[in-house]
Amino acid sequence: MIHNDTEKLKNMTKSLKIAFFIAFIGLLPLVAAGQKGTIRGTVFDEGTGEPLIGVSVLVKGTTNGGVTDFDGKFNITVIPGTYDVQVSYISYQTLVISVVQVKENDVTLIDNVRLKEDIQTLESVVVTAEAIRNSESAILSVKRKSPNLMDGISAAKFRQIGDSDASEAVKRVTGVSVEGGKYVFVRGLGDRYTKTTLNSVDIPGLDPDRNSIQIDIFPTNLIENMMVLKSSVAEMPADFTGGVVNIETKDFPEDKVFNVSASIGYNPNMHFNKNFFSYEGGKKDWLGFDDGTRALPAEATQEPFPSPTSAGVSPQEVNSFLKKFNKNLGATTQTSFMDYNLGISAGNQKNFENGNSLGYIFSATYKSSTVFYDDAFYGEYQRSAFPDEYEMIYATTQTGAISEKNVLLGTLAGLAFKTHQSKYKLAVMHLQNGEKRAAQFFIDDNGSAVGKSGYFGASDNLEYSQRGVTNILLNGEHYGKDRSFSVDWRVSPTISKIVEPDIRKTAFTYTSSDTVFSSGAAGNPTRIWRYLDEVNLVAKVDVKKDFMLMGQPSVLKFGASQTLKERDFQILSYDMQFAGIQPEFNADPENVLQDDYLFPNGPIYYSSANPNPNPNAYNSTVSNSALYLSNQFQFFTKLKAIVGLRAEKFVQRHTGRDAIYANGDEINGNNLENEKVLDAFDLFPSANFIYSLTDNQNLRLSYSRTIARPSFKELSFAQILDPVSNRIFNGGLFKYADWDGNLQETRIDNFDLRWELFMKKGELLSVSTFYKTFDKPIEMVRISAAQTTNEFQPRNVGDGSIMGIELEFRKSLDFVAMPLRNFYFSGNLTFVKSEIEMTEQEYNARKSYEKNGETIARTREMAGQAPHIINVGLSYENSELGFDGGLFYNVNGPTLTVVGGSLFPDVYSDPFNSLNFNVNKTVGRAKKSTFTFNVSNILNDVRENFYTSFNAERQYYSRLNPGTSISIGFKYSL
Amino acid sequence: MKKFLSMIAIVSVLAFTLACNDDETTPDGPSITAPEAADVLVGESTDITFNVTIPGGYKSTEIVVEGGTGVVASEPAAGATSGDVVVTFTSDAVAGDASIEITVTDNNNKVNTEIASLSKGNQVTVTANITTNTTWKTGRVYVLASRITVVSGVTLTVEPGVIIKGQAGTGSNATALLIARGGKIMAEGTAAAPIIFTTVADEIEPGMIKSPNLDPTLNGLWGGLIVLGKAPISASANEIQIEGIPTSDSNGLYGGSDAADNSGVIKYVSIRHGGSLIGSGNEINGLTLGGVGSGTVIENIEIVANQDDGIEFFGGTVSVKNALVWNSFDDALDTDQAWNGTVDNFIIVAPNTGSGFELDGPEGTLKQGDHIFKNGTVYAGANIADLIDFDANSNVQMSNIYFYGISNATAVKEYAAMIAFAASTSSVASFQYTLPADKDAAVVFAGIPADKLTSVALNANTVGADKTKFTWTWASQSGALTTIGL
Repeated sequence: MIHNDTEKLKNMTKSLKIAFFIAFIGLLPLVAAGQKGTIRGTVFDEGTGEPLIGVSVLVKGTTNGGVTDFDGKFNITVIPGTYDVQVSYISYQTLVISVVQVKENDVTLIDNVRLKEDIQTLESVVVTAEAIRNSESAILSVKRKSPNLMDGISAAKFRQIGDSDASEAVKRVTGVSVEGGKYVFVRGLGDRYTKTTLNSVDIPGLDPDRNSIQIDIFPTNLIENMMVLKSSVAEMPADFTGGVVNIETKDFPEDKVFNVSASIGYNPNMHFNKNFFSYEGGKKDWLGFDDGTRALPAEATQEPFPSPTSAGVSPQEVNSFLKKFNKNLGATTQTSFMDYNLGISAGNQKNFENGNSLGYIFSATYKSSTVFYDDAFYGEYQRSAFPDEYEMIYATTQTGAISEKNVLLGTLAGLAFKTHQSKYKLAVMHLQNGEKRAAQFFIDDNGSAVGKSGYFGASDNLEYSQRGVTNILLNGEHYGKDRSFSVDWRVSPTISKIVEPDIRKTAFTYTSSDTVFSSGAAGNPTRIWRYLDEVNLVAKVDVKKDFMLMGQPSVLKFGASQTLKERDFQILSYDMQFAGIQPEFNADPENVLQDDYLFPNGPIYYSSANPNPNPNAYNSTVSNSALYLSNQFQFFTKLKAIVGLRAEKFVQRHTGRDAIYANGDEINGNNLENEKVLDAFDLFPSANFIYSLTDNQNLRLSYSRTIARPSFKELSFAQILDPVSNRIFNGGLFKYADWDGNLQETRIDNFDLRWELFMKKGELLSVSTFYKTFDKPIEMVRISAAQTTNEFQPRNVGDGSIMGIELEFRKSLDFVAMPLRNFYFSGNLTFVKSEIEMTEQEYNARKSYEKNGETIARTREMAGQAPHIINVGLSYENSELGFDGGLFYNVNGPTLTVVGGSLFPDVYSDPFNSLNFNVNKTVGRAKKSTFTFNVSNILNDVRENFYTSFNAERQYYSRLNPGTSISIGFKYSL
Repeated sequence: MKKFLSMIAIVSVLAFTLACNDDETTPDGPSITAPEAADVLVGESTDITFNVTIPGGYKSTEIVVEGGTGVVASEPAAGATSGDVVVTFTSDAVAGDASIEITVTDNNNKVNTEIASLSKGNQVTVTANITTNTTWKTGRVYVLASRITVVSGVTLTVEPGVIIKGQAGTGSNATALLIARGGKIMAEGTAAAPIIFTTVADEIEPGMIKSPNLDPTLNGLWGGLIVLGKAPISASANEIQIEGIPTSDSNGLYGGSDAADNSGVIKYVSIRHGGSLIGSGNEINGLTLGGVGSGTVIENIEIVANQDDGIEFFGGTVSVKNALVWNSFDDALDTDQAWNGTVDNFIIVAPNTGSGFELDGPEGTLKQGDHIFKNGTVYAGANIADLIDFDANSNVQMSNIYFYGISNATAVKEYAAMIAFAASTSSVASFQYTLPADKDAAVVFAGIPADKLTSVALNANTVGADKTKFTWTWASQSGALTTIGL
């Protein structure tokens, strides 16, 4: 099966390569087309933010001109020169764009032209073309008119801030934080309440333990914009609460584009460091996948398993099986290299005589980053059972160094075809990510701690994770003649595949006399293989109709979508065993798998921890069918309302079993064969009101019902042991004395109130408050009956609520002094108070360990909810000089990350003060070259999580020091 | 001519008639169809049916049975010409071939003989929890296909000589026999017929003591015997989950308030090759006693080659008499959670990677007196970690113990801290030892006052285990004890 999948992947990769090649070659002639120059642009209504159709665009001093199409776009061909372009429309103020330079065989873009409705003034307004080219204000425009609460960041902003991947970039958005550089939290709500979509359709996550996709795999090079939607409307899926992050990949460009970019990053702590750990990898590691070096020997999944105790297996067969395992168990040191990125993107559009146009884009990016934490720390602490003993007791600490080499290859190819009334898009994207990790830890286990045997140990951990996502989007948009009617349909399959081959943990135990493998202490060497395959298929159609209702413009929307998902997940693990006394390894993991030591020549053999059928494997499917209807009412000029209703029929099925069943006890064991674990029909009402206080001030009020559903793994009888963290996950279906095994989805009511003021040049000020109630949210609950192991189970806990306030601003410093007019102070601040009712079990667990002077409340904050998120920045923007830059600061308040109880203290993340500096300078007369310079984590802060307990000094849960890093980039545009 | 023809006809008729008369007077003897070879479990009965035809009329059946006993359960009526002879076969306790020979006699005293063969198996695979009172019978081998639990309110009786074999595997593949709180095990072996727990890889058969094929160092091939009870424990809660069992199985909970709780009787039991690894630091001990009460009787126990500890006590009040732990791959004897009982008369032989004693105190606020180790012999061996690993809050009193066979850097840990601990009543007394010339007693027995220690010549100890109680063990019968002077 594994082999087949690898083949499939190879074939797929090959097909993709061919597809890209054909697309590229086929469209090359377009690049060369045209003798004259071209002016292209888009015209919007300043008032509604919508594209204007039929606007007349005239190149002054020529007879050339054009009329905008249904997308508000125009295209004019003229002989090279410098022109003034006049944009006029009945009952709108005429706009003249001055100094528009047109070059031979080149496209001059004047996007984002906004016309103001004005019947009083007949004078035309003159602006320069440069001033228009700030897409950030286009985002503001969308934001201002969007019926739902929305924030975003555009490609232009990525360039300005110099962020190389989406996780860096999305942090700039109000109320957004990124955990571990990978997972987006909106308004501080955890991963469970955030959804990530790609081109408005669901994509599978790449981590079986997460609900949302890790966002750092999207290079900004492939992204047109990222929008964060914080309130729901009927056309959006209902399974989010904090927000939806939608990543829109690049469409076809207005202009001929050919960019190459390169950058290097240097971190003095991490790079050119001789102590960097590595291990023997494959020849294709640099491409983000394993070449078979880490493959699982075929016999490992066959019956009988080749071990000395299996009947019908000869010692020679066992020996030849053992020899097939990679012998490398130890981390080796080598000098680390610095980070580097390479990017290329090309695109163009061709306009045909009949007014149709064809565009293409191709973009590829390669990113190599090297991370080295030479002072990493992981701790496990316990609370004393005695009420007068406040200080926490260490149970196990791990001190060491972690090395990571991360490779990301991203490719995107898109074709778009536009006719007078239709637009078709086909986009194919493949992301391939490989992460190789090697770490060494010194382990100190405290025998005085509860459930601990007490030992010193040293471990070598070797890991590899390869993740591939292939997404295809086929999209059509069709408009009625007067643009009052439109249909948008999308079909989008995504295949995602993760393999974590041969994760090796080899830990020696130091006894008072020797260094050995001790199963009762640091454990025997173990190696595991993890596989995840997921296929998503989304098909949706959205219909929009503008009409007049009681004399006011009204918009009717309705549509349907169908989402199908299927995931296969499997973990195979193998433990080293000794048939007799261990040889002397001299504490070197590289000495372990010597031929002389392998059975029957020596005692070493591997034992399978995988029953057949495997309890650490499951298959889950989801079918979600949705219908919605919404209408936008304009009650009078100043009040708009969008009222909608969405219906979702959600069915989740699961195939899996627990260990008891897997071992043959079909009576007491649990087994599901494609059984429904969730079957719900829900109605999700939403209402959004926008009241225009003035022309540039809105007051918004919204209500929506949303849902958070348990994941595939949570609705299962899975029992998954992670040998690295030694944590055991128990599926939510298991019954306990204090848990009925009936894990349910959480329904959330969301209320939002926002006041916003839009000012000149993209300045804005907004204040929002929000309130959400959670009906029995799901949290990972630590099982307090387990003292030796760390066991968790997802359970519905008590009802919760969060209340928050958000402030966003962007202001030019021209009010201080005119010379400072190009300086902007911007920021967003979110403050949240969350509360959750403890379950009886949690309350009792806390109460039993109550300290003298401590009062255990019945409520606590919600896990994963940050109490505040602050993003502020001081930026300089001067497009005439081609110079911009800024200083940006981001911090999250201390967040409850692991919920404790009785013996186990709570864990809080410590605020990480991230201060980054960036400048960006375009040089040359033609402004074809851009240099960027970036310094991140200027304050040299350390990422820390702490155990906390009443009246006790806090203790480390984890500590990683990312250090300060500098990067320099160069981009050349043809 | 006519006359002649008539004569021929008459003669012919006569001849025919005579011939017929001859058949009627001496019919054929009985014919028997024996059934296909049948399988039977040792100690069980089964009905074997022979189909018989008796033209001369059924008279009687005699049987000769090999490998068991048989009785004729039913037979055809006297004079019947056909029918079934049903023999109820009761197997003896020895696996192998058996046969039933039947001899059927008809009314003319004609006889016929036929043999039915049987195969006596002794293996029973146990796949599900034991939820009604059950007896495992002498002569049989019970294979544990998974973690088998004797649930609350149910008694499992194990007869002498029974062999229990766990299927191989680690992690979620691990097998074990778990006696849940409120459940009981009545495993009363004898010195001549001990009850043996081992792995399916062991070719041992009922009646044997020594494994015919496995070394006494092979470990981690299955889980172990876990007994849980309702006696008090000192942990983070009054009841917690035993290590090695995921919390999703609530049968793994132990602890309570009944100090005199009775989990049954375990006598003459040898547990071998167990200790399946579940996760690092999380395995199954040879004999795990979690919150087991003083009403439980545990005597004459041998633990061989367990990957985790030999015997581990998690709180509770149970006592153990005559225990031998040989080649443990973690600690030989391990105590936790303020166990309050006694181990009297014990031998520890060569622990590997673990300590001789790993003695912990309360983990919660409950402290219920000290536990006691007395009359023991400890042969340290070359791979022992700590000789005795005390904790500051250990609650233990040790006396009359002989230590020898020390060759590596093993030592006693944290004795002084334990004695100095607030309100400690822990103590040691009458330790004897034999050390090689290059070892210093003050280092090996770090912190223990010299007046509690006596150096003796090798095996000239006057304190220690009564080895005569261990002659039934594999360690003794394999000669392993003799080689270390016991």
